[in-house]
Amino acid sequence: MNSKVASNSKSRSLWSDFKKQAYLQSFVLIGMLFLLIFSYIPMVGIIIAFKNYKISDGVLGFFTSPWVGLKHFTEFFTEIESGMIIRNTFIISVLKIIFTFPIPILFAIMINEVRNVKFKKFIQTASYLPHFISWVVVYGIMFAFLSGDGVLNSVFKTFNLIDKPIPFLTDPKKFWPLVIISDAWKEFGWWSIIFIAAIVGIDQSIFEAAEIDGASRFQKIRYITLPGIRSTINVVLILSLGNLLGGGMSGSNFEQSLLLGNNLNRSASEILQTHVLKAGLVQLRYSYAAAVGLLQSIVSVTMIFGSNALVKKISGTGIY
Amino acid sequence: MVKRAKKDIAFDVVNYILLILIAFITIYPFYYILVISFNSGLDAARGGIYFWPRVFTLDNYRKIISDDKWMNAFGISVFRTVLGTAMSVFFTSMVAYGLSYKKLLFRNGYYRILIFSMYFSGGLIPYYVLLKSLGLLNTVWVYIIPSLLSQFMVLIMISFFAEIPSSLSESAYIDGANDLQIFMKIILPISKPVLATATLFAAVGHWNAWMDSAYYVSNPKLRTMSYLMMEIINKSQAANVGDMQQTYRSATNITTKSLQAAVIIISTIPILVTYPFLQKYFVKGIMLGSVKG
Repeated sequence: MNSKVASNSKSRSLWSDFKKQAYLQSFVLIGMLFLLIFSYIPMVGIIIAFKNYKISDGVLGFFTSPWVGLKHFTEFFTEIESGMIIRNTFIISVLKIIFTFPIPILFAIMINEVRNVKFKKFIQTASYLPHFISWVVVYGIMFAFLSGDGVLNSVFKTFNLIDKPIPFLTDPKKFWPLVIISDAWKEFGWWSIIFIAAIVGIDQSIFEAAEIDGASRFQKIRYITLPGIRSTINVVLILSLGNLLGGGMSGSNFEQSLLLGNNLNRSASEILQTHVLKAGLVQLRYSYAAAVGLLQSIVSVTMIFGSNALVKKISGTGIY
Repeated sequence: MVKRAKKDIAFDVVNYILLILIAFITIYPFYYILVISFNSGLDAARGGIYFWPRVFTLDNYRKIISDDKWMNAFGISVFRTVLGTAMSVFFTSMVAYGLSYKKLLFRNGYYRILIFSMYFSGGLIPYYVLLKSLGLLNTVWVYIIPSLLSQFMVLIMISFFAEIPSSLSESAYIDGANDLQIFMKIILPISKPVLATATLFAAVGHWNAWMDSAYYVSNPKLRTMSYLMMEIINKSQAANVGDMQQTYRSATNITTKSLQAAVIIISTIPILVTYPFLQKYFVKGIMLGSVKG
């Protein structure tokens, strides 16, 4: 009896609290409604990976279409190209982290050694520029520089270094270096921001003490700067590994393979994401494409938690 | 002592040279495209232009300005960038302001819903089905509505709003203002730094987007400039593979390459003149974002 009254008045006071923040609640609830529609309904839609879905059935077809079990998954794994696609997805992702990750750190250290403020500012501002332009523009620039009659090939020809143009954009062997270098070029400046800020945050008196002890510039970098930004490096590394399949820090794998991939370098450029896109939106095999997409999501989620656990074990600092 | 100073100078010299080289590698590609865009296309095809136009012309730009298809795409891009950015910054900051209130009921639940949606998604196909069912496909709204809320930006904004002293809103309460009025008249005007960051990110995203134009829209009148740019580069890539020297129209001195150069410049200029001035804001923004993860 007593407890009923208590819970009644409790719910009444909850309601009156809620009414007091009615505006704030409605701000947030509109946002939640948005997420419900644009994030959570598609999540429910994943079940079409196990069904025979027809697009004419719309969102309701998520539920009404017939189950087919793992049919679409076996279809993917028995397809001739699935091995190539999985290989490309993983190799591009891993190579990208190995080669692009250290560059912003190195650049941040170099920038930090500059004392001329104007020079520093200019170099930094220039380094951000490629981050803000689209991959389409980068594709256009790469085409101007790397196509058969592009800048690089004409320079090589002028110096008689080559007989016929190097097919940078169509040779499958050149695709992986192409995406790694262009990604590094586009994003090194942007990601250096974090590391530069971390270096600035190091206690300056440590550097002064080292100076008095006669430490060289390299020694200071090796023994003060690098250890000083270790936790930042860890955080960014976790984030990159978490988005391994997307393309690490910049998440550029999809756009790069879509733009720089073509019929000639397909054997190196086709990845899970482009396969999902083509199978789904071009060949209209919706359920099959959703199944392949789900495979990628499972790996991604595993990577997010796996990378965090790994770094936590090694260094004792995770971020979740 | 002298020896060390010498070593120091050597270090600086090498460091400066490397940095200048890096800046060159970053800037020169844009500069080269700029030069080509002001050069006659036929002449440029002969090669040998690296630092200055040889046969100066404005034809490449004239061609684009006189072409309805390009101007329409430019208009679509401007429309989605202006309206899409304004709506998304307002909507995102509204949600973030609500969430930044520490005594908000169910705050933890809302937070979990937000964070979960950052890490898990239904993937492309169910999302496409949703857009189709909502009737958004093949309308200009498919550019604007699905990107109204940025979860990442919500997190950045929450940490900004949390720093605003609560005495500000409390004194407004006493004066009889409600939360909507406080948000519109007090909070937004003092949040310029974070709004500038959000505006820059959203605007760049809209201006650069091409995939939604490629896959969610089929009406040629709704194509964005980035999409058309992708299309024209793909065409010359295909022609290049087939070893054809292609000119846009044989009667003019414009080639697909010189035209591409002009388009690249037109789409890069708005970004180029904005981002350096917002630097101090977005540097803070990315710091907060990365710390919050």
